[in-house]
Amino acid sequence: MSDYDPGQLPDLLPIYYKRLFPFELFCKWLDYGGVKNGYFRNREFSFTLPEDIVVRYQSFISASEFEEEIKRRCPHKIDIGAVFNTSPKSYRHVTLLVPEEKELVLDIDMTDYDEVRTCCQGADVCARCWRFMAIAVQVLDQALRDDFGWLHLLWVFSGRRGVHCWVCDASARQMDQKQRSAVAEYLQVVVGGESQGKKVNLPGDRRAVEIIETQFETLVEEQDFFGSETKVQSLLAAVKDEGLCNEIKKALDKCPATSKHRWKEVVAVIAYQKSRGQLKWRTKNIKEELILQYAYPRLDINVSKGLNHLLKAPFCVHPKTGKICIPFNPKVVNNFSLTAVPTISSLINEIQEYDEKQDSVLNSEARQKMKDYKKTSMNKNITVFSEFLRKLEDTWRGKMIEISDEKMEF
Amino acid sequence: MDFRRQQRRVIKSEPDKYAELYPHDLQLYKIPPDGIISLDEFQDFAYERLQVLRIIEMVNIREKGSKDGLEELRRSVLSELKKFPELKSYAKLICATGCNSSEADVALRRRDHISHFILRLAHCRTEDLRRWFINREMELFRLRWFSLSNEGKKKFLQINGLDYKPISDAERLQLTGASRGMVSSNYEYYQVPFIEVIDLVRKRNVFLKGGYAFITSNDFISVIIYVYRAFLAHELVVTCRKLPQIEAMDERVFRDLNHLPKSYTGKDFTVVDDKAHVPIESLDSLSKTSYPMCMQHMHNTLRKEHHLRHGGRQLYGLFLKAIGVTLDDALRFWREEFTQKPEIDHDKFDKQYAYNIRHNYGKEGKRANYTPHSCMKIITESLGTQDQHGCPFKHWDANKLKSSLLQQNIQQIDVQEIMDLVKDGHYQLACTKHFEAKHNGVAPDGGVNHPNQYFEQSQAVLRGKQDNIKKETPRVKPVAKASTSVKKKKVDEDVWDDADFDNIEF
Ligand code: SF4
Ligand SMILES: [Zn+2]
Repeated sequence: MSDYDPGQLPDLLPIYYKRLFPFELFCKWLDYGGVKNGYFRNREFSFTLPEDIVVRYQSFISASEFEEEIKRRCPHKIDIGAVFNTSPKSYRHVTLLVPEEKELVLDIDMTDYDEVRTCCQGADVCARCWRFMAIAVQVLDQALRDDFGWLHLLWVFSGRRGVHCWVCDASARQMDQKQRSAVAEYLQVVVGGESQGKKVNLPGDRRAVEIIETQFETLVEEQDFFGSETKVQSLLAAVKDEGLCNEIKKALDKCPATSKHRWKEVVAVIAYQKSRGQLKWRTKNIKEELILQYAYPRLDINVSKGLNHLLKAPFCVHPKTGKICIPFNPKVVNNFSLTAVPTISSLINEIQEYDEKQDSVLNSEARQKMKDYKKTSMNKNITVFSEFLRKLEDTWRGKMIEISDEKMEF
Repeated sequence: MDFRRQQRRVIKSEPDKYAELYPHDLQLYKIPPDGIISLDEFQDFAYERLQVLRIIEMVNIREKGSKDGLEELRRSVLSELKKFPELKSYAKLICATGCNSSEADVALRRRDHISHFILRLAHCRTEDLRRWFINREMELFRLRWFSLSNEGKKKFLQINGLDYKPISDAERLQLTGASRGMVSSNYEYYQVPFIEVIDLVRKRNVFLKGGYAFITSNDFISVIIYVYRAFLAHELVVTCRKLPQIEAMDERVFRDLNHLPKSYTGKDFTVVDDKAHVPIESLDSLSKTSYPMCMQHMHNTLRKEHHLRHGGRQLYGLFLKAIGVTLDDALRFWREEFTQKPEIDHDKFDKQYAYNIRHNYGKEGKRANYTPHSCMKIITESLGTQDQHGCPFKHWDANKLKSSLLQQNIQQIDVQEIMDLVKDGHYQLACTKHFEAKHNGVAPDGGVNHPNQYFEQSQAVLRGKQDNIKKETPRVKPVAKASTSVKKKKVDEDVWDDADFDNIEF
């Protein structure tokens, strides 16, 4: 993979938008089959231009206008906002501009795990902490589908150290602020600020415990959760119950000082206390609560609550890393590799290489007909996106038939 | 309600008709009342209900943080109502159990009906009034539902077409497994769209499957409140649109109506014009003498870490605005702290943070004037795992709270009392005790219910103005004086609504 240098971005972006950005699919998505009038036209986009200049309230009357504008201005970043009651661009100064609908969005960012992860901090990520992300995707994907019955979920790598999920079912898009925040809080099982040791109180999410449990020991080792005295202290703070803490302390004194051994010991103490009927009402779920506290998805719920919150669009280029915000399949998130995410420069190289190689084989006409992204490693991500769209399309096909039926009624 | 003059004929009371109209103690006010009432009655009805709603609001604020349930709340409301003989009928309504209809009951229900509609007229004009009214009516309704007998509840559901069918035994059996024990085989369950019970969803107090919530009959109130709230919100907007027509019919009535909402302005901390300008240089010392603990913690954290997360910036920023820190000073204050972090230079500060500060002062975005958060809002907020803000009495571990109290030189005995209150979930009372401990035993008027109120009363005490505080008008009495100041738009809930660049990922 060729190295990306942020300085090249202004030179690379025009090529990216010209040859690679999947405008057609992208606009098809946001138009939702034209079932509702003005759904695309009244959508807010926000551009980040060079020098970090942010222009909000952009909107476009058509997909082709959108495409032209992007190609002309080459934004470093595109954010997607709400669908308003009218066109945001022409009415941005009017107080009557009200956000009406938007996808429900989830934002999980590695920095929110700083309190539990030990391999990196802040903006850094590595394959080890990515395990947290993979767990988050599995847990949330299942909750959104099973609990809320939503089917059209678009999972996107956020370009650096997190993932986004766009819930695109009509019922999700129509939710108001109160409803969004209820859903967000439902999905936020780990709560309590930094001044609180124990942050999970069951009945939390038992299904999540089942999902996490299978990978928890690996996580414990990789992250070295309990490897130092301070880490053991925060474990005890999370246990909270004094009697149980003492039992655990006693046991830990005698066992090897590795995370793996310590966790085994904790589990054993809890099991033993339980078998003797010694666990109180408050601690009877303590093992599950600890697992959740250490590994449950940490959402930035404010992003989900707002109807008018902007979120970076899929297929944007992350200006710092050059990585593309690619959609991925949540079912195989465990195979997602951070280092395999294409960057803008690697993609452009791939096109060139392909063209050179094929020059001799295909005639240039056939080659020109071929979409450029098909020549690159982004192709499989576009396939994920088209697959998502295909299912979404079925819903509006159904809707259009309903609408035309209504018109026929006498 | 129709105020047309031609309808102002005297109609004899029609007990039979009313008995039929009002079969139940509780109603959803679907149809406007007809018939005639005198102007005096009109005013009395309106004031009474308004007073009741205000009492409920006050009690709710006072007890929101406490863990005691509706029973406790009802008891407090009733004991407040007792202080006003004219509100006896409402005490009776709040305790009513269902559908035993004596003639007196029916008359009471009619009074309930009419007064509700008068207040709709008085509270439909602005978003703020509507929100206030809807929330209060929901609280009142909840209390009354709680008093109904099982029979009364059943009848109510029947009358209002809300009688759901329970799911079959086979379905329930299946759910018991799928829900990992949340659905038990001892109750009947009803299936409703999750959106109708979002309060239960928020707290994970209900089993969800495929977008449906499975509730027991105990949870019906959530569904009813959902339906009622949506209905009332809609009706208020409709009424607002019709207002000009209605107003044209009887000026006298509307002169009174327009005064009504102003009679409960309470304390509005949004407006800072009349407050002294507080220089930011004095914040360090003020934070020690006059800040409640939530704000002390914000201030100290900011000084120590040179940074606050979004929730904290919002909370502390609005607090500062309301104590009288000017916008320019606020920008300077935050900038001086934030730019001490190596990764934030002036340029970055201006791009990432200045917007939100100006926004809070109504200088950006919707140009709304944001209200500083009340205790209730702070206490009930759910925090992210790294959030630094919140109410220390509610959100901190006991050890940390205790040592912080001791550091403030609060007497051991007071600390113990505070810790006991916290343990029982009386966070605001704990804060009140904290105030007392720090002000030589002087208690804040009416207990602490707003950080800015804590601050102001502390300042007043320190300036030796104790007497003035005591004389402040009691919160519940309607104050009939018309205020001339234009009330600025208050926005409380949708702080997230506007551009919030700090939260956009980069
Ligand atoms: S009770 Fe209110 S004022 Fe006191 S610390 Fe808590 S939130 Fe702050
Ligand atoms: Zn890492």
